[in-house]
Amino acid sequence: MEKFAKAFPSSPLQAKTAKPWALAGVVGSGNLEVLLEVGGRPSDRMECHVETSIPGYKASWLAALADFAHNYPAGGTKVTINDQGAPPVLVNLRLRQAYDHLIKSNK
Amino acid sequence: MSEKGHMTNTNSALRRQNKAQRLGRLGKLARGKFVSPDKVPQVLKRIIESGDILCLEGDNQKQADFLANNLATLDKKDLHDIHLVMSCITLPAHIQLFKKGMIRQVDFCYAGPQGTAVADLVKAKKFPVGAIHTYNELYARYYIDLTPRVALIAAAQADRKGNLFLAANTEETPAIVEPTAFSDGIVFAQVNEIVDKLPRIDIPADQVDLVVEAPYPMHLQALFTRDPAAITDVQVLMAMVALRGIYEKYEVQSLNHGVGFNTAAIELLLPTYGERLGLKGKICKYWMVNPLPTMIPAIESGWVESVFAVGGEVGMERYTAARSDVFFTGRDGSFHSNRAMGQLAGHYAIDMFIGASLQIDINGNSSTVSKNRITGFGGAPNMGCQPTGRRHPTKAWLKAGTEANPGPGSPPGRKLVVQMVETFQAGRVPTFVEQLDATDPSIRKALHGVAPVMIYGDDVTHIVTEEGIANLAACRSIAERQAAIRAVAGYTPVGLKRKKRETENLRARGIVQLPEDVGVRPAEASRSLLAAQDIKGLVRWSKGLYDPPPQFVDW
Amino acid sequence: MTRGPLFHEQTARQRIAALVDPGSFDELLPPPDRITSPYLGQLGIPVSFDDGVVIGRAKIGGKKIYLAAQVGQFVGGAVGEIHGAKLTGLFKAAARDRLPCVVVIESGGVRLHEGSAGEIAIAETMRAIFECRARKVPTIAVIGTDIGAYGGMGILSTCCDFRVMSEHGRLGISGPIVIEKWMGKKAYDSSNRALVWKTSGGKTKYLLGDADALVHDTADAVRDAIAKLLGKSSAVTLKSVKTRQKELARRLKRFGETADPDAVWKGMGVRDIARASLASGPEFAAIARRGK
Repeated sequence: MEKFAKAFPSSPLQAKTAKPWALAGVVGSGNLEVLLEVGGRPSDRMECHVETSIPGYKASWLAALADFAHNYPAGGTKVTINDQGAPPVLVNLRLRQAYDHLIKSNK
Repeated sequence: MSEKGHMTNTNSALRRQNKAQRLGRLGKLARGKFVSPDKVPQVLKRIIESGDILCLEGDNQKQADFLANNLATLDKKDLHDIHLVMSCITLPAHIQLFKKGMIRQVDFCYAGPQGTAVADLVKAKKFPVGAIHTYNELYARYYIDLTPRVALIAAAQADRKGNLFLAANTEETPAIVEPTAFSDGIVFAQVNEIVDKLPRIDIPADQVDLVVEAPYPMHLQALFTRDPAAITDVQVLMAMVALRGIYEKYEVQSLNHGVGFNTAAIELLLPTYGERLGLKGKICKYWMVNPLPTMIPAIESGWVESVFAVGGEVGMERYTAARSDVFFTGRDGSFHSNRAMGQLAGHYAIDMFIGASLQIDINGNSSTVSKNRITGFGGAPNMGCQPTGRRHPTKAWLKAGTEANPGPGSPPGRKLVVQMVETFQAGRVPTFVEQLDATDPSIRKALHGVAPVMIYGDDVTHIVTEEGIANLAACRSIAERQAAIRAVAGYTPVGLKRKKRETENLRARGIVQLPEDVGVRPAEASRSLLAAQDIKGLVRWSKGLYDPPPQFVDW
Repeated sequence: MTRGPLFHEQTARQRIAALVDPGSFDELLPPPDRITSPYLGQLGIPVSFDDGVVIGRAKIGGKKIYLAAQVGQFVGGAVGEIHGAKLTGLFKAAARDRLPCVVVIESGGVRLHEGSAGEIAIAETMRAIFECRARKVPTIAVIGTDIGAYGGMGILSTCCDFRVMSEHGRLGISGPIVIEKWMGKKAYDSSNRALVWKTSGGKTKYLLGDADALVHDTADAVRDAIAKLLGKSSAVTLKSVKTRQKELARRLKRFGETADPDAVWKGMGVRDIARASLASGPEFAAIARRGK
């Protein structure tokens, strides 16, 4: 297991969400779960916590998370990931799904 | 690495004499052409001579396994200095021949399931390889400098005269028999059964010297069966990107698909996503591909005009017979394949080859060889290359050619050669690397300086990953090609070295295209787009005519 | 041509969203509470925020229910300490509030890493199920994936009033590999998927009366089947147990010596085995003469 945390610059989350959290994915072989919560600090950072069963890929993780924080206004959110060896493409997809859920809960 | 058996310097009369001597040594071991199974080891000892070029039929599907297993019961004192020529080193029996030190040299194409064993033999210096070939390259050498003295082959049935019926898996038998039979070599066939009347004659008795009815049917690998249940959403995404960014763009009419899940996803998207895009009748009409079960929905939906194959596929017999309007079949409806002709068709007559690979380097070279697994490449390089002997135009060929901006001394068109890979393999092994494992000095040394590259970067026109498409043909410099590859290499070490500005520049010029640039919304990519989600779905599409192998049946 | 998502391919959360009235699901112990297994981390196995089971209150067709859905991908849906406590609590709450309880099962049984806790939890959940039944609170198990319901969860499912299955679902006590290990490959070849499904799959279970509904592999079909069963429940009485015993004794007498699962199908009145094998769940239900 490898554990790390980092905050990435991101424009503040625009929408107010009805539900304060969203979860995407499952913890299973080659998969991961992403929990996205509002109320992270500060409001221009996306705070990330990763726990992965396959150590040694920190650089890929940080690059994928940084890209997401750059591409989506996710400032003020907290991302927590439980990973069982998902490829980066799934990291990206799950982040997007969790983000969509969070925004959609704004009704 | 060319050399001939020890009979090279004799004239043909002597060669004929020598053949007669060998067959004469059999005495009562054979009754006419027919040998009983328990006599096979003794027969092999008498018809093969040490120093011979020996061809053992066995490719990635069909195996002369009974003969191979019997050959492996012999020893170095019986036979040595054999120059083995064969497409695929597939069976444990093949490995035994090396372990026993019977082989002086081997020339082959592919070692899929025995890749690890081959790598071990190479390390132990027990694998004296001439070269790793492509299929047609090796068959070609059977007519030039690697003509077999003895060929051990496999057929479905023989009649009482020794005519052979090869059934769906004709594959490479004709390519082996012809050069052997017409040079006074000995052709020895194992057959599943001997019958009074054959459904059709594939090899005339005149070219067959010995026949044995094997106690078990020849081994046939269900190599091209891909369970749609194992296709992932990410593969669906890549398939959508390929369909829009390549198939639709170039109007690809004739093509070959590799055997992976990526292309299976494309086949299963044709009747759904493809139909929605209005592409039916515009793309994917003529195929050089084995009877892939995942093609059934597209065929049943009227997408496909014709399919020619290099081999059969277990369980597709009744379906292909019922759809002889699409597949090449004998008069009796039985499926026909031919590896040499199929490879020729795939070389000259298709708009596109699309396949996958385990490793792609920064210059676009690809390989399935790793330090611990030497596999080779079979037919992919025959199709995944630019046939500069091609002269006939098609829309796709001309369009790809124009894009590549040909110089005054090069052909006006180009075949589309596409590599479709996820940036990571299972277990987070990166697909993109700075340098291929195939270029490892120990491997190169064993192969006389030639790194076993499957497809050369210069031949590749496009790389498709889950990140998007890199159009290598449109790149104007080596540096640009490398940047385009990094741009679609995702979060692999190769991809992490990309520079944002470079990528944006390539994207602006259409050399790098993200999914949204070709009109694909990643959120839409879902398995529910597949025309069949599992093997049972394929059987339902076939109206019960497809009989999947037992390991795929859960009903 | 494009279909909706298949039930057996959905995640537990997707299934819940597709089964219940929109917006009606109120999750208990949701992921932000981070109630995770205290053991898996020590073994180098990643934890999950819901410990492999999502539980909560919801409505189906306007009717209030309690609902649980197991996450088969997470350690095979196996029941550990937290996971088990969530199931027990849910059925206890159902009994207390007299609300139907639905459990979407996808589990090989007890989580070996937390064996005792899992065993106890399953036993306690069964007791809570019988409490529900004593109060005529409907309990329904849904089994619609190839992970199926095995081990303790297989037994637990049979404690419920009803079982809704699809052709993908499997139900048994010992899993195929375990049976093969004990009985030998000759008696039971676990790699023979056709044999495995013919002996433990939804169609056979429906045919024998172990499943009460055999539905299409979609959340809509599962929801319709649940909705039909929500009003019904029966107490477990000495009489009902004895009746069931007799049924099982009859079945054993009839098919106990049969090695060929097709013979069971034929014995149950299926004429065209090939056609029935390929038929969808509801088609099968229509052509099969079903008995107990």
